[in-house]
Amino acid sequence: MIIRRIAIRNFGKLHDRTIELAPGMNVLYGENESGKSTFHTFVRSMLYGVRRQRGRAAKNDTYSSFEPWEDPTSFGGTLWLEYGGKNYRITRNFYKEKQLGEVLCEDNGEVRKVNGAADAIFENVSEAVYDNTVSVAQLKSVTGKELVDELRNYMAGYQGAGDCTVDLGRAMQMLKMTRKGFLAQEERRKREAEAEQEKVSSNIEFVQKEIWDLEEKKAQIEKKERSLQARTGDSIKEGDSLLDQGIREIREKMLLSEAGVFAALLMGILGIVFLPGIYGSVWVGVSVGAAAAAVAAGAVFLRLRFAREIRIRERHKTRLVSAGEELKWKKEEISGALEEKRMALDNLKEDFLECEGEKSRITPEQGEIQALNLAMDRIESLSGSFSRQVGGRLRQRTSAILCEITGGKYRELLMDEDFQMWVNTDLKTVPVERLSRGTLEQIYFALRMSAGELLCGKEKYPVILDDVFGMYDEERLSAVLHWLAKENRQVILCTCHEREMEILEREGIDFHKVSM
Amino acid sequence: MRFIHLADVHLGAVPDRGCSWSEEREKEIWETFRRVIADIRRNPVDLLFVAGDLFHRQPLLRELREVNYLFSTIPDTRIYLMAGNHDPISRESFYNTFVWEPNVVFFREETLTCVKDEKLDVYVYGLSYHHREIREALYEKAEPRREEGMHILLAHGGDREHIPLNVFALSAKGFDYIALGHIHKPQVLLRDRAAYSGALEPIDRNDLGPHGYIEGRVVNGRLRTEFIPFASRSYQQLILSLHEETTQLSLEDAMKTEIFRRGGQNIYRVILQGLRSPDLLLIPEKLKKLGNITEVLDESSPAYDMQALYQRYSGTLIGDYIGWFLNHGMNETEKKALYYGLQALLETSRTSGK
Repeated sequence: MIIRRIAIRNFGKLHDRTIELAPGMNVLYGENESGKSTFHTFVRSMLYGVRRQRGRAAKNDTYSSFEPWEDPTSFGGTLWLEYGGKNYRITRNFYKEKQLGEVLCEDNGEVRKVNGAADAIFENVSEAVYDNTVSVAQLKSVTGKELVDELRNYMAGYQGAGDCTVDLGRAMQMLKMTRKGFLAQEERRKREAEAEQEKVSSNIEFVQKEIWDLEEKKAQIEKKERSLQARTGDSIKEGDSLLDQGIREIREKMLLSEAGVFAALLMGILGIVFLPGIYGSVWVGVSVGAAAAAVAAGAVFLRLRFAREIRIRERHKTRLVSAGEELKWKKEEISGALEEKRMALDNLKEDFLECEGEKSRITPEQGEIQALNLAMDRIESLSGSFSRQVGGRLRQRTSAILCEITGGKYRELLMDEDFQMWVNTDLKTVPVERLSRGTLEQIYFALRMSAGELLCGKEKYPVILDDVFGMYDEERLSAVLHWLAKENRQVILCTCHEREMEILEREGIDFHKVSM
Repeated sequence: MRFIHLADVHLGAVPDRGCSWSEEREKEIWETFRRVIADIRRNPVDLLFVAGDLFHRQPLLRELREVNYLFSTIPDTRIYLMAGNHDPISRESFYNTFVWEPNVVFFREETLTCVKDEKLDVYVYGLSYHHREIREALYEKAEPRREEGMHILLAHGGDREHIPLNVFALSAKGFDYIALGHIHKPQVLLRDRAAYSGALEPIDRNDLGPHGYIEGRVVNGRLRTEFIPFASRSYQQLILSLHEETTQLSLEDAMKTEIFRRGGQNIYRVILQGLRSPDLLLIPEKLKKLGNITEVLDESSPAYDMQALYQRYSGTLIGDYIGWFLNHGMNETEKKALYYGLQALLETSRTSGK
């Protein structure tokens, strides 16, 4: 691709300005603020349009920054270029009310309309590729250390992703941090759910223990009941129990003794009345009477004893009956409580299962984590295929360029898997940390150039170098200019110094000068 | 004649375990039921229908006594009560032996039974669940008696596992009103003729919207029913629309205002929608602290112009990354993955200027 001419209608501080460019080396010379970077942005905008940012960012976007101060309705211009062997004329107006974009192929007269705001002209040169090949701006890194880091990141990015446009390590790190946040939330939620379940489960234990206590109490009562029954027999109330039998026996004995008293007394009286008459002796009657009286007295004594025994036994029976009733009452109370507790236990077990469900509930966090995993998988697999294609070639080409622009002093760029870098001189390898700022810039330049070549394939693109060689000494500058001239591509060197032109003249390299 | 139809009170439920409001909600479910009864005491209705799931689990005896006591305080109201799938009459159930107040009719059988109201010409039909699941269409054969008066069917269920039923066919048989329970969302199936009263109080975060009971009254010989919101608070969906100016703090402010407007006692599920600025790193977790929030769903997406980005980065890893997703057709996860990856790649990319 060769940019042949630009005609700026109105763009930032430039208006009605036409600049012719040569196919080879061009030097855009001008003081600071003379419009070199406006030129740069103009070319880019002609190729890719001016995209308006939305919201807050709009205040500082390209559109606002380069909107012409006078006559904003004609915001744009024309650019002539050669691409893929054909000549094109691109005309655009960026003004928001009057956007216009037109591409004329001058060879066959084909006209294509494009969206003035955004559309790219050539599909296989994306903006990102352009940014990484065509335009090389001044390095922002101030110190040597920063520059080494920058180099390393660049190489690491390339090695990992096969693509210098991304910093894969940092991107992955960012995704991992985000995932970590969600994982922590997920973990916390899970712990909370488990704690809830734990609460239910300790409730279950508590109620279970209460049930066991009640069951034991019930068993004790039943044991007491049984021992009571052993003493009383089964049916204490119906008057058929052992106690009742005892009382009945004694009562029978008492009746017998009462009968004995009557019998003895009757015998005695009969004896006293009739025996003397039969035997003729009073003594017989008296002695029989006395004997009968003695027997009767004995029987009375027995009866009194039996009566007392019955009283005792009946009192005893009443006591046992009421004890039995108390036990029964207590047992019923405990049984009621048991039923209630068992029901509560069943309900708690259901709560426990419900908690189980809550634990396995799909949460929003899981969706996020899944998405993050997918993102990381995709990036990894894409970068894998990328880096296999171009990883090795980049290092080779960088080494070749480095060798040329250092006049063979550094022949090769080496790197291990931790992205430690060395350069190989004829005699030894030197870690990049030990190199001078100037050499580091050379390495960076070589890297940018080779990465650009790898990104854009066969077509050679112009390269716009924006004050890149400030740190180069004369020798280095001359070497790099020689290399650029030899590369057979369009070079647009923006500078505010005259020394580039002096060297070009001295070295006899053809160049086209544009004064801004 | 005036009646109240309620269902799915779920006494004893512990809503949203682990959330700060859980314990309070457990009490509120009892409290709201008590409030219904207290209101009836002040302004008695003739009939109260409880269409199942009065309890969340098998009621304890103590709980039955509490409910029975409450019923004893409204002696002028006849209460028609049934057990639902959450508190079925199992073998051990205290329902089996419990003796209710004289003003309570408890449908004990699992077959449909008809009871004539003692004071009005109202016939109430009902049954109780004896199992957690009943796949048989037990209400299918229900037929109102050929008697003058109002015929009201008390029915619980309606899905495949809980007595499937066709409300329209049932209503066509001549029931004047079908008082339904089981589905927690209040819904009128046939105007003034059949309705789910919904849960009296929402039971968990899925019971969105207003809750209460249905009041019915006969006006000029016609039955009119009306849903009365009665729950002490509601679960609501709070949709916040993001735009490119939105920041974390502006979002928090908007949310606070909206919650204040709708009532701080309510419980919200927050859904973020719209297009947010690609630079905004939202922390949804922080939003959860601004009220009773069950969860924050982030459905918003960064305001990327995907086609433009794809064009702009084609030929690089970012371009391939976007391309892969665009060519795959995206579900929610893939969409999110695209945004996450893109955000990380763009944020850390070194394009022009270096």
